[in-house]
Amino acid sequence: MSPPDVRASGAGRGTLWGILALLRSTLPEVLRAIAPLVGAVCVLQATVVHAPLGQFLQFLVGAALVAAGLVLLFAGIGHGVLPMGRFIGAELPRKGSPWLILGVAGAMGFVTTLAEPDVLILAAQVEAASDAGPGRLALIGLIAAGVALFTAAALARVVLGVGLRPMLAVALAAMIGLSLVAPARWVPIAFDAGSVTTGVLTAPVLLALSLGTSAVLAGRAGSLDGFGLLGLASAGPVVVVLLVGWLR
Amino acid sequence: MTASGLAELLVTTCSSVALAVAPLALLFLVFQVLFLRLPVDAVLRILTGTVLAAAGLGLFLAGVGIAFLPFGRLVGEAIAALPPGLVVAAGLILGFVTTWSEPAVRILADQVEEASGGSLPGRWVLWAVCIGVAVSVAVGLVRIGHDVPLTWLLVPGYALVLGSLWFGEDAFVAIAIDAGGVATGPLANSFLLALALGAASVAGGDPLLQGLGLVALIALAPVLSVMALGLILRGRSITGRVRT
Repeated sequence: MSPPDVRASGAGRGTLWGILALLRSTLPEVLRAIAPLVGAVCVLQATVVHAPLGQFLQFLVGAALVAAGLVLLFAGIGHGVLPMGRFIGAELPRKGSPWLILGVAGAMGFVTTLAEPDVLILAAQVEAASDAGPGRLALIGLIAAGVALFTAAALARVVLGVGLRPMLAVALAAMIGLSLVAPARWVPIAFDAGSVTTGVLTAPVLLALSLGTSAVLAGRAGSLDGFGLLGLASAGPVVVVLLVGWLR
Repeated sequence: MTASGLAELLVTTCSSVALAVAPLALLFLVFQVLFLRLPVDAVLRILTGTVLAAAGLGLFLAGVGIAFLPFGRLVGEAIAALPPGLVVAAGLILGFVTTWSEPAVRILADQVEEASGGSLPGRWVLWAVCIGVAVSVAVGLVRIGHDVPLTWLLVPGYALVLGSLWFGEDAFVAIAIDAGGVATGPLANSFLLALALGAASVAGGDPLLQGLGLVALIALAPVLSVMALGLILRGRSITGRVRT
């Protein structure tokens, strides 16, 4: 799921109007996404689950909250957070060296991952499921550090002119190798961490930022198209979590 | 859910949202002072959006907390108690349904169609990813019931991705690698995570070993699906040249 494109939001017509237009354009997408899941749960409830009526009603109320929350979240991302990424992407090249851009992109990867909904939920669930895993805040920090490091590495690749394939090969080999030597309990956490990152908040912000800075990084415009930034960024948490699990 | 339980949920949700969003806002303000120097109305707009996103995040987390997590767990417990054939069927259906409705998957399908010069219709990609995820969820649920280590599935899977790096077209490699996160939006992630933990609790396994890992398998599916489509395209040597 992705937030709506801010350019199509009517944001030029005043703040409140812009927000309302964004909310209205996001609602159908959120409803389309949530309806099949709620439908599947209703079918399962009638066939195999048979939860008490109160619990089922609580699910429906919660699903409505989830839908409202996603609409607000996407509108907020489209109205403010995505433009933040665009502004930074537009201003940075004028002020800084490529290495500063890497640092800023890494920092943005870190702070957006701290607020990524899926990451928060995974960390809370891991902590609730067992005392043997990392604590909630520690896991969130490790995941964010992984995204930050690999985002910076993905951009450094462009600066240094290293091909995508060698870099991916190293990342994948590290994932495979570490998953064989790390304690078995850390492997599922690490790979789940990799797949919940670069979600609704991080992905659009990093893409907006990198589009703005691509000209400076690669020395020519538009050459960052399809360069595996998000894939590499989500390999980061896997490697970092496995590494920490192995070394501690 | 009692009133005090609801109040406690609200308090914990608000504090975790504040903790989650504050660093983003602070970092922006630091950049603003150091080099951005945006006009006041742009700053206000960004901060308004951030507050709006924080409110949305809070509602989302509260809703997930009272609905998706407990009910996902119940569904997982109920599915784990079913005969194996029905476990597979439930996994296939849940995987397919949640992916089919995921807007990011459709964006991916369009990207692939474009990268193939139109010779790979987006509809194929959509089906390939949905079938891939459906199989992943089914395999992931069966794995939970049979104590299969996650590495037995992930290591061959990622080794396959690693191997296909050398055969796929450049554009396909980049798209496939970026596709890992598209199949599971925040809805499917939270629901399936709780479902897997519920299933693991019935199976009696270690929640960290058996309960986690389903989402990781789902992330592998679109990567392999897009890689496979890229290889098929190359094998058929369709002349839609791919530029990188």
